[in-house]
Amino acid sequence: MPPSPRPPAPRLIRLTLVTLAIVTVYVVSLRETEIDLPALATGFPNGITLVRDFLTPDVAVRETANSSVGLDFPVPCGSAPEEEVPESGPRIIPSDPCGEVGATIIVEGVGLGAGADVSLWWILQGISDQRLRAARVTTDSEGYFQTTVEIRPIVATKEGKASKLTAEITSEVGVLRPSPALLETVDAAILTVFMALIATSMAAIFAVPLSFLAAANITRHGGFGSAIYYVTRAYLNITRTFEPLVLATIFGLWVGFGAFAGVLALAVFTVGSLGKLYSEAVESIDPGPVEAVRATGAGPVETIFYAVIPQVIPQFTSFSVYHWDINVRISTIIGFVGGGGIGFLLNQRLRTFSYHKAGTAILAIVLVVSLLDFFSAAVRKRAT
Amino acid sequence: MLKVEHLTKVYPNGVVALDDVSFTVSEKEFLAIIGLSGSGKSTLLRCINRLVEPTSGKIEWYGKNIVGMNSGELRKIRRQIGMIFQQFNLVKRASVLTNVLSGRLGYVSPRISLPGIWPKEEKERAARALHRMGLDDKAKSRADTLSGGQQQRVGIARALMQEPKLILADEPVASLDPVLAHSILRHLEELNRDEGITIMCSLHFLDLVHRYANRVLALKDGRILFDGPPRDIDHARFKEIYGEEAEDVRATFVDAPSQ
Ligand SMILES: Nc1ncnc2c1ncn2[C@@H]1O[C@H](COP(=O)(O)OP(=O)(O)OP(=O)(O)O)[C@@H](O)[C@H]1O
Ligand SMILES: [Mg+2]
Repeated sequence: MPPSPRPPAPRLIRLTLVTLAIVTVYVVSLRETEIDLPALATGFPNGITLVRDFLTPDVAVRETANSSVGLDFPVPCGSAPEEEVPESGPRIIPSDPCGEVGATIIVEGVGLGAGADVSLWWILQGISDQRLRAARVTTDSEGYFQTTVEIRPIVATKEGKASKLTAEITSEVGVLRPSPALLETVDAAILTVFMALIATSMAAIFAVPLSFLAAANITRHGGFGSAIYYVTRAYLNITRTFEPLVLATIFGLWVGFGAFAGVLALAVFTVGSLGKLYSEAVESIDPGPVEAVRATGAGPVETIFYAVIPQVIPQFTSFSVYHWDINVRISTIIGFVGGGGIGFLLNQRLRTFSYHKAGTAILAIVLVVSLLDFFSAAVRKRAT
Repeated sequence: MLKVEHLTKVYPNGVVALDDVSFTVSEKEFLAIIGLSGSGKSTLLRCINRLVEPTSGKIEWYGKNIVGMNSGELRKIRRQIGMIFQQFNLVKRASVLTNVLSGRLGYVSPRISLPGIWPKEEKERAARALHRMGLDDKAKSRADTLSGGQQQRVGIARALMQEPKLILADEPVASLDPVLAHSILRHLEELNRDEGITIMCSLHFLDLVHRYANRVLALKDGRILFDGPPRDIDHARFKEIYGEEAEDVRATFVDAPSQ
């Protein structure tokens, strides 16, 4: 039996202390994160409503036409002349031609056009311009509706004038058109894709030369070369860890919040990230052709152009497209802190409780992200 | 033309790959370098154009010491020394023509080579080199679409662009089947005979050495064990170079002398 490296007593103490520490950390975290499982249940209806709104995004509208039909409805009976219901055409038909306060009547609508929004109003004849909502319904495919209406005291006949029961009909006519919200969303989505494209391209311009300096097989020869290698690597590693969200806030305060700030933030972060990816591609090339070209008497730059670049072009291309894809996602998030584009729009719509419009933005994000994902996967597949 | 004196190479990991190697090479020689794997053949060839930095010793090229020479001067020497490799070392994704033109990088200015606008005379030079290697119709093909033998001929064409006085060949036929091996070595033999290009070529098979070389340098553990004409490698020398267990190979060599 090998001798135990420590006496048992301190080990027990250590174990107890470690256990205590772990328990404390968990207790504190649970308290601080305010985990509230019941809220999952109580908030469920809210969540469902929100998801339903998101799932019915505002994407299309039709031209609408408004019309109205109505008739005098004396309350109580005999307080004013009753009005005849027309024989044909769009019309509403109350179950009784007049009524008493507190009674309930059934109102039918006929010939109002299929699927129209109908608002039933009491137009209070005695008091100028006053109206009271009676019901809100949608007509069926025959242009018919039926609803119950309560006769409230306020609709009673005044000064010999009966209140008028009126249906205001809003029906959709003409073809489906993209809604303004959709158009705005498409603009913002395109802006986001372009922001990501510009940021990635700007970053690539800087990342390409930096990646050669940060590749051991190119630069790390001799003291001076090694110094350049380590400095460049350090620079790439540092910029790579910058949080794009923080950068976006900084640039937002610097150049003003908007697309430009978002692009700058993305670009700075991408230089580090792409530079690192590129330099790994450079380091993994076949050294044979490099040796062969060096042996012909070519200088270092010529060697890079003729032996290194042709070998790394496929990987550089696929990394760039891949990063464009990543940057579209990040710029969506950056939009939330004022970086412009689709994220900004989504944030705006959520804050104004326009959930159908927010749904449009979410739909656009999902579409754009998966399209680019697909595109970048296709490019990467072809490049290898 | 080439005088190597007390050349020693110790790799950073402490391996002594070359140990006090001295010899001279005259113009128009076809020099074969033989030795077991790890005996230092590649290291020796690579020291001559300083792809590998010698640890100590002298390498004189027409009286100029290459060791310690600055990079500008070294490039001028390198362009006179072509090199071909076992793995051909072509840029696979580039065209055959671009690979061949890259042999000219030591001569043309970067203003021409970097944008890749090669003048007509250089393109004609490349076409001649390809023609010489029987690859006229391959100029536009991507290098990796060619067979091994064709790729090695592109490698030779690239070396020819340098108008070399010396060609270093590091096991140029080790990746090829015997028929192609002879075809490649015949090309080198032809360049040696017709153009007076000196050849230093490491080889694995003694029958090839006998067939093509007029001088042999045998290395063992980084030292020169034998330096002389191929016919002087007798049974005892052979065993010294390749070790006792190489008896069987020797037998095939005796049975199949020259072809
Ligand atoms: N870059 C390197 N770093 C460290 N040691 C090396 C390096 N290159 C070669 N060596 C060692 O130096 C010795 C000579 O190697 P070299 O490649 O010159 O032999 P070779 O005769 O060409 O062998 P082969 O027939 O296998 O190509 C070997 O022991 C090898 O392991
Ligand atoms: Mg070797």
